Formats: sequence, C-alpha cells, structure tokens
Amino acid sequence: MTGGGVVAVAVPVVLVLLWLVDAGFAGFRAATGRNARIDKRVYHLVAAGRGLAVGAAGLGVVAVPALVALAGAADVGARYDGLVGAGVRMLQVLLPFAGLLAAALPAYWLLPMRESAFVVLVGLGPFTLVRPVVVVAAAGWAAAGSGDWLVWAVAVAAAVGVLVVEPVVHRRWYRVPVRGLRA
Amino acid sequence: MTVVEISDLVAVWDPGTGERVPVRRDEVVDRLRAAGDARAARIVARMPVVGGVLDPVAVDRLLVRVHTELQRLNEELRMADRFAELLVPVLAAVRATGVRPRVVDVGCGLGYLVRSLAASGVLGGDVELVGVDFNRALVAEAAGLAAEERLPCSFACGDAFAPAEPAVYVSSGLLHHLPADRLAGFFQAQDRAGAPAFVHYDIAATPLAPLGAWLFHRARMREPLGRHDGVASARRAHGDGVLLSAAARAEGLEVFLFEPVRHANPCCAAMRPVVGVRPELVGAVRQGLGRRARGLVGAAA
Repeated sequence: MTGGGVVAVAVPVVLVLLWLVDAGFAGFRAATGRNARIDKRVYHLVAAGRGLAVGAAGLGVVAVPALVALAGAADVGARYDGLVGAGVRMLQVLLPFAGLLAAALPAYWLLPMRESAFVVLVGLGPFTLVRPVVVVAAAGWAAAGSGDWLVWAVAVAAAVGVLVVEPVVHRRWYRVPVRGLRA
Repeated sequence: MTVVEISDLVAVWDPGTGERVPVRRDEVVDRLRAAGDARAARIVARMPVVGGVLDPVAVDRLLVRVHTELQRLNEELRMADRFAELLVPVLAAVRATGVRPRVVDVGCGLGYLVRSLAASGVLGGDVELVGVDFNRALVAEAAGLAAEERLPCSFACGDAFAPAEPAVYVSSGLLHHLPADRLAGFFQAQDRAGAPAFVHYDIAATPLAPLGAWLFHRARMREPLGRHDGVASARRAHGDGVLLSAAARAEGLEVFLFEPVRHANPCCAAMRPVVGVRPELVGAVRQGLGRRARGLVGAAA
C-alpha cells in the first residue's frame, strides 16, 4: 500500500472527516440569513445537523459504489493504492485551506469585536467565495495524477457531493425566512 | 452619476401621513436605467406588479427577506457590541442627570440593534429601547420577533426627521440613505427634540469600501436586491467632512467621529459612527470611555 498501512487508513479517514465537518458548516451556511431572532443557537445546531445528514448521505452515495467497484477489481491492492494516492493529492489542496479556516474560526470567536470583524472581511468571507474553487481544484489535482477511471469518478463524485450539500439543505429547509412574511 | 439603491425606490411613504405611496414599476426601471444601473433595472423589472404598480405585499416580503439577511452581516460585524461600547458611557452620563435613559433607533428595519441590546441587557434594565421605521411591514416583523423572544423593547412607525421626545438617537446604516443636503436637518431634528446624545453608525467612505462591500455581500447574501444595495451603500457613503459639518448644525451638541485608535480597518467596508453629545455630558462620556476616548475626533476634539 502507498506509504504503508498508516497512510492507507489515515487518508480516507481524514477525507471522510473533512467531508462531514464541511457538511456541517454547509448546513449552517444554508440556514444563515433566514432567521432574524437574536438567540439562534438551537437553530444553527439543527441546521448543522441537517447539513451533516445530507453530507453523510452523499458520502454514502459516493463511497458504496466506489467500494463495490474496488471489490470487483482484478488487483484490489493496486487499485486501492491508486485511490489513496489520489486522496493524498486531494489533501495537498484541501488541508492548507482547512488549516486557514481552522485558524480563522477561533480567531473570529475569540478576538475583540473589531479584530473579529476584520477576520470576517479578509478571511471567512473570501473563504466562502473560494471554497467551490478549492474543492474543484482538489478533485482536479487528484484525478490528474491517475489514469484510472475509478479515481476520476470518485474525485468528480466527491466534489459534486461536497458542493451540493449547502444548496440542498437551503432549498429543502431554508428557502424562505423561518417566521413572519413568506416569499 | 447618481448612485441609487433599489430599496429606496420600491417602497415609498408620504412623510406627512405615513401612508404608502403607489410606485409604478416602469418609472423605477426608467430611473435606474437613467442612472446607468442596468443591473438594478433588471432586478426591479422582475418584481411583480398589480396594474403596473409594484405589488406592496411582494415588496414587503422581499424587504423582510433582505433585512433578515442583512441582520447576519450586522451580527458578524458585531454592531450591537460597537453601539454598546459608546452607549454604556453615554447612558451612564444621562443617568447621572437624573433622567431615565431612552434609546431610539431610527430607521430600525427589523430592529436587530434594539432587540439585540434588549436581549443582552448590556445597557441596564432601566433603559427604554424603541425602534422606529417608516415601513409598517418591517415594524410589524420587528415587533413579532421581539414578542417571540419576550424582549423588553418596542417598535413604532415614525419619521426619522420628526423625533418627538428627548432620547439618545441611534441608527445603523441609515445616513447614506439621506442626501447630503438633508443630513443637517436630520441631526437638527434630534437637537430640537432634546436628545442628550446621538450615535449614528454608517459605512466609512474609504476608497476600497465598495470592494469590501461587494465581497461581504456576495459571500453572505442571496437576494440580488440586497447584494446590489449593499455595494451601492458603500459607493454613496458620505465622507467624514460631510458628516461632521452636517452634524455640527445640531448646535446644541458637540459632534465627533469615533475611530478606534488601534486596529482600524482601512481597506474594507468598515462601519464608524458620528457622535453628538450635549456639552455638559462630554466630560462624563470621555471618562466612561477611558482610553478609548482618544478615538473621539472632530472639531471639538
């Protein structure tokens, strides 16, 4: 296996965790701007949970066929190595971005008001805008290093699966404000 | 060329009666095209009409959606905290004169500021918090939201140019909606009403404010009207000199801009307030602000 057993296990685990965490935040974003109450803690938790559920379902839709295809391969080990290698390339793009987010979020929560607003303006806001580009770039970089159709299919399906969580949650639950006048 | 916000054109009230004025969609579209704003014209052209007049119910629903999204931006910029930073010492100075403090948010929209201050209780339990807006739909929504969370505040329809009673008048993002030649009247009306102070936050007219506003609204808002007006707001924000000279026409108050000495955000759509304080309260307010009083700058600084 590529890089040994640890990498073979760690890469898919990290990718799955990134997917699910991202899905939770996607659910949060899908619900923002749709509730004008002051106390929205429960509202945001429910939204994140919905994002997580939709993300987990998408993960299953991608992972199960991939595992079936992998199990049916002539050389399971070589093909798994190919997938892990693609996962490593994907993480080369995703982890720096995730690292920036991981630094920006506590900065926003913990810094005084002006500094935290600055974090939104130069960090969290632009990060939201470039996230789809980063996801597509990660999938492209992962696929570019392989000639295996399964790697390509998984990379493309993963990118789509990650990016559809927010619009799905938004359309299903948060198309209009949650109280008052309706659209 | 004149920068126009869609929300100023699609919902109009008679300042004398407070009644809604019918707005013809074609006229708004023509005006936006004449202003060179084809995108805004396209947004309005898609809005529903009844006999050529913009459907007021649909307009109200749209404005509620836009203000709901706008609240998120205010939350992220921690606008309630920014107001509290100034209002706490201002209200302490007012209390010291034996007057029960009253805060009135003019052009309150969905009343985020009033409701947020009421929820936090940061200003003290004795403060009367009131939101005022011309738009009855927004006022009704604000009152409904406050009732849902049982917040100690109230809302009413009213004219920002006709304040009736002494109060600390505040606003957030209202000043750029007023033409420069009407700003002085806005501040003078609060002076005449006996305001002990006012705190009006608006977008700082920095060169990169429109870019920051575009980025922030693009990332956070979905409604095309909100995205458009957010950038237009930054483009039409009044400069510091315009605000200070207009506020100085409220001759019974000393006026300042409040800029944090450190960590000012020079490049994005930062919000900063113009502040007016009765001369006899200035010392107490400065004392209450402590080191942050150095941020009070203006002709009287």
